[in-house]
Amino acid sequence: MSYVDVIDLAYTYPDGTQALHGVTLSIESGEMLSLIGQNGSGKTTLSKCLNGLLLPTSGNVVVDGHDSKSSSISDMVRRVGYVFQNPDHQLFNPTCRDEIAYGPRNIGIREPEVTERVEEAATVVGLGSEHLTEHPFFLTKGLRQRVAIAAILALRPRVIIVDEPTTGQDARQAREIMGFLTTLNREHGHTIIIITHDMDIVAAYTERILAMAKGTLIADNSAREIFSNPAIMERASLAPPQITRLAQALGDMGIHPGVLSLDEMIAAFEGS
Amino acid sequence: MSSPAIQVTDYSWKYLHSTTRAIKNIELIVQPGECLGLIGSNGSGKTTLCNSIDGLIPGQYHGIKEGRVEVFGTEVEEYRRGELQRTVGLVFSDPEAQFTAMTVEDELVFGMENLGLSISEINRRLEWVCDLADLSPLLDKPPYEISGGQKQRVALAAMLAMQPRVLILDEPTAMLDPVSRERVFAVLARLRKEREITMILIEHSLEHIIPLADRMVLLSNGRKLHEAPTRTFFSDLSLLRQEGIHLPGAVGFSGYLRESGATTDEPAISVEEAAQQARNLRGAAKGELS
Ligand SMILES: Nc1ncnc2c1ncn2[C@@H]1O[C@H](COP(=O)(O)OP(=O)(O)OP(=O)(O)O)[C@@H](O)[C@H]1O
Ligand SMILES: Nc1ncnc2c1ncn2[C@@H]1O[C@H](COP(=O)(O)OP(=O)(O)O)[C@@H](O)[C@H]1O
Ligand SMILES: [Mg+2]
Ligand SMILES: [Mg+2]
Repeated sequence: MSYVDVIDLAYTYPDGTQALHGVTLSIESGEMLSLIGQNGSGKTTLSKCLNGLLLPTSGNVVVDGHDSKSSSISDMVRRVGYVFQNPDHQLFNPTCRDEIAYGPRNIGIREPEVTERVEEAATVVGLGSEHLTEHPFFLTKGLRQRVAIAAILALRPRVIIVDEPTTGQDARQAREIMGFLTTLNREHGHTIIIITHDMDIVAAYTERILAMAKGTLIADNSAREIFSNPAIMERASLAPPQITRLAQALGDMGIHPGVLSLDEMIAAFEGS
Repeated sequence: MSSPAIQVTDYSWKYLHSTTRAIKNIELIVQPGECLGLIGSNGSGKTTLCNSIDGLIPGQYHGIKEGRVEVFGTEVEEYRRGELQRTVGLVFSDPEAQFTAMTVEDELVFGMENLGLSISEINRRLEWVCDLADLSPLLDKPPYEISGGQKQRVALAAMLAMQPRVLILDEPTAMLDPVSRERVFAVLARLRKEREITMILIEHSLEHIIPLADRMVLLSNGRKLHEAPTRTFFSDLSLLRQEGIHLPGAVGFSGYLRESGATTDEPAISVEEAAQQARNLRGAAKGELS
């Protein structure tokens, strides 16, 4: 058994929209992976099933041996944290400190430990103490994103799902956010799931990709494999990063179709 | 001579409670039918500049304005109420900021009704944008109960349906999957061919602006740091790197070939062009050998 097991999961919204069907997958503790796929393919819905915000219509989500259907929501959120697609949907407290403390307080953690967790989470995401007293809405989008992640971190979940963390961030901020998510994974042992439409991010930071289309999982493989498989790319409404497409246009010069970065491209070209 | 679509003259803006100006002495001209790509890191002033052209600034915000912002020859503050918004359509990056209706269909129709269009014209355009943004299956849903990318497509479609003469797109596709994104940019390209529409396009993903933009402007810290026709804009990459701008693969690779002295060609700005540059070099190398 893996840390997360999803077995033949289906989810239908109350209005009858069938958002997920037949989803089966496993995630080991300590992985860093990306979840990709076209708009409306079910990525956000799947994430909400993983942390117990939504309960399966049929099938099962089992985390650390506990089925979401028979676990309390406060047990689930201790295991799987979900950072919303738009951080503004998550932030509602008057200060960043309260925002980050909200989750731990809500699951009954006592005050001295709450403070400890807030400080720790803020440090990990790089929020200075000067930010903790501010109202989240007066911060830049990049900082709000960090507050949203810190608020989840304070619950100390093993698995953290971040829904489109780099959307609306410039390249520098995107690198910073991906940098500390990588640190959380490598140094703190968190399992990290990134939902993104940015294939450069996928190529640069994650080895395993889960690709969804129309409510179901259509591929579970490495970035290199998936980007060089046109059939899957098309079904998932995906396009490889531009650098990969350049390599593929030069296939006849012996350049590998799975090139993932400019450095790899330069090396391949110089060796051609 | 007819006036430019947009003319910004020695324009500065300071939000009321901030200590520094968000926009500093900007000069900018966009001719009718032109498409301008606007880039810069977060906080560089892109949104502030766009909101100033749509009249949201100073209309909805308090602050201090200096200089002039003219749309088709008239200062934005001198337009009659509502008149400017008919001319300039602004699509925000946060689609929900734009939603007012209870269903996706009403959201799409609302703006057209405000323009006083006939029912048959409304229906014609509704069909057009639904097709374009793949929204037909969502028409009866509340705009809040759809996926993030679907929300963004609704926001964009609602604006396109109004067919404004000036279209300002502030990161309109950040939440779209790569294929939907291609589709939106294809639509924008087609729109430009079919009729005269002036565009300002903001996106962090340069890959998507490049094929559309005639000219590019780089903002940094409220100032205009660099402006050039799109290809020339990439002649010197050091400034862009210094500003932390992520270069598309083809531009980065062509930059490598040029900077290493392998080629003296102009910068390549598409996959096809970069591939051609690489081929020419290998062809030349083979030629030398034989
Ligand atoms: N609250 C809701 N009520 C009803 N249907 C919904 C709701 N939220 C999402 N849906 C529908 O469920 C399906 C899956 O949506 P989901 O938000 O999981 O997609 P996603 O993969 O996260 O897309 P995106 O990349 O655009 O964020 C879509 O058809 C969407 O319209
Ligand atoms: N409503 C506001 N009130 C005060 N300052 C603002 C407001 N909106 C933006 N700013 C500030 O103005 C500057 C430019 O921001 P913005 O135009 O949003 O940049 P961009 O769109 O390039 O990210 C930043 O320093 C930002 O913090
Ligand atoms: Mg989503
Ligand atoms: Mg902006």
